[in-house]
Amino acid sequence: MLIASKKAFATLPLLVLPLTFLLAQEDTDFMRSMGKMYVVVAVIAAIFLGIVVYLIYLDRKLTKLEDQIKNHE
Amino acid sequence: MNRRVSLPPMNIFAQIFYLLRKEITLEWRQKFAISGILLYVLSTVFIVYISFQNIGPQVWNVLFWVIMLFASVNAVMKSFVQESGYRQLYYFQLLHPIAILLSKMIYNSLLLLLLGGLTFVALSFVAGNPVQEAGNFALALFLGSTGFSITFTFVSAIAAKADNSSTLMAILSFPVVIPILLLLVNLSAHSIGLLSGSDVGDKISLLAAVDLMLVAMGLVLFPFLWRD
Amino acid sequence: MKKYWWKVLGVVILFYTIFVGMLTPLKTGITDASPVSLRTGRSEVLTVQGYNSFFTKEKEKLRAWLKMGSDKALAASRIEVVDDRVVRLTFDIPAYLPVEQKVKDFTLLIDSPVDGASVLPGGIVVTQDSINTALGEALWPNAEIAKLHEKAAFTFPFRNILSETIRNTYYHVPLWMAMFIILTAGMVMSVRYLWKSNPDDDRKAMALTNVGLLLGILGLITGAIWAKYTWGKFWSWDVKQNMTAIALLIYGAYFVLRGSFEDPEKKSKVSAVYNIFAFASLVPLLYIIPKLTDSLHPGAGGNIAFGSQDLDNTMKLVFRPAIIGWTLLGVWIAEIVLRSARLRDRLMEV
Repeated sequence: MLIASKKAFATLPLLVLPLTFLLAQEDTDFMRSMGKMYVVVAVIAAIFLGIVVYLIYLDRKLTKLEDQIKNHE
Repeated sequence: MNRRVSLPPMNIFAQIFYLLRKEITLEWRQKFAISGILLYVLSTVFIVYISFQNIGPQVWNVLFWVIMLFASVNAVMKSFVQESGYRQLYYFQLLHPIAILLSKMIYNSLLLLLLGGLTFVALSFVAGNPVQEAGNFALALFLGSTGFSITFTFVSAIAAKADNSSTLMAILSFPVVIPILLLLVNLSAHSIGLLSGSDVGDKISLLAAVDLMLVAMGLVLFPFLWRD
Repeated sequence: MKKYWWKVLGVVILFYTIFVGMLTPLKTGITDASPVSLRTGRSEVLTVQGYNSFFTKEKEKLRAWLKMGSDKALAASRIEVVDDRVVRLTFDIPAYLPVEQKVKDFTLLIDSPVDGASVLPGGIVVTQDSINTALGEALWPNAEIAKLHEKAAFTFPFRNILSETIRNTYYHVPLWMAMFIILTAGMVMSVRYLWKSNPDDDRKAMALTNVGLLLGILGLITGAIWAKYTWGKFWSWDVKQNMTAIALLIYGAYFVLRGSFEDPEKKSKVSAVYNIFAFASLVPLLYIIPKLTDSLHPGAGGNIAFGSQDLDNTMKLVFRPAIIGWTLLGVWIAEIVLRSARLRDRLMEV
């Protein structure tokens, strides 16, 4: 579990943070245009991305398990 | 433990008292442990002093509690981690787990109160004493040392169960203690005059309530750790 | 199908929150009025920028006031509609202010039969050269502000700094609430483990805490993005931000603790104890400390709490289901984590 949880910690922020970083780099006027609507879009995108990253982590964990089962048989 | 030990009493309060006395005599006999901690505080204060030199009230307040925090972890860490397996087995057969936990908590509170007093004297000596309301500050110190002692004692009981317990001790206890630390810094800022407001009483009772709740949680949960 | 109904429900609810939360328009608001600073004794022209406004429709029925407190209101003497978004208001400002101050802020209020009433709270400043309260008191009219219109359509409220980001209430705040619910459920599972010593309960606690951590990280990231464009910085040292960070540290420590045991039973027991102890030391403070200290979040340090004004009835229609939706989705993910943990443990046994 230690390895798996460590990975979760390492990968989650690492993969989601660049998004916020990108947004900060972008022209602020774009983010503030249309009544700051793109901030909402960015928030939804961040949630989506976070869940996808978590799914990838789960997927890899399950793949490893499947491999172990296969080796066992 | 070469000395012949009298059989411990059956009553919980008497057991606590018995363990407390034993703890203090043991500490007194191996003076190097406690003098090590005291030296730790003194040298930390000195290092802080030579690196800051000019310490304002705000920095003083934070430094005091940070030094207190690190000294406390070091002082309390040994309470369960350093107990040998044989001694644990001996306790386990004879004493009530609640008596063991409570005696450790009380002993550590006293130790931390002493440490806090020493930190205060040392820090005031090198950086001046900004405390305006001594009563409030003493109360903060008392609630702080009991809070730290409760948290760290319990976490050290948890960490003692794992293999690399000294690293684990810091990882497990710091996040848990941060809320108490925040309240303490806030409360002692009042006594230094950095904050004003009428809600000091609320904060004191909140801190006391948190301390009490943590003791209660510890007492409920400790038997599960001990029975092993 | 019978087994999956709650998963379907969670997804349908989340779809509903995104659909309704994104498509519902905001109420009409005032984003800008210039000049911001007016002087007494003059006829001043204010150029007002509307948001989601339709000034040209029924422009004869447009009304506008400069309001101070509840008893002073100056009606605009002339209203000239430029287009749907811009309107010019002329105010004949009396020679003295009714207060013992050189400078006083006023609230601009515009009412339209189409858009309803919109305000710019404290947005206009009036300056006077000398103070004469008695004269000011007599000169300032208390124009009647009656029969204000309500916008008929289903809309979300307009707030000046937030504007469209008010929708983040449905995407950021429920994550936090769902995290709290799921971590609580994890703690309950730990209690049950200590009570009944069923290893599956500990696995459940682990899975739920894992998802709680995910929701916490997401909440922190979305909060940081929102904060950047409303408070100015990603990390504003706000109490709630800090407390969430502490919560993540505590639950991070929980997983480190789990990792440092070889013996599964010892691991389950000790981590269950830590989970309960950490929860008890943290969670009450999550609710008490923000109330004691100043916070940028609503509901603390004099800010308006959710429920009084920030969260009106239309918002509750989306906000409350969103909490349920995120919780259900979280439990679904936790179930998958739980099933993989069960598989792994069974594999270890063989």
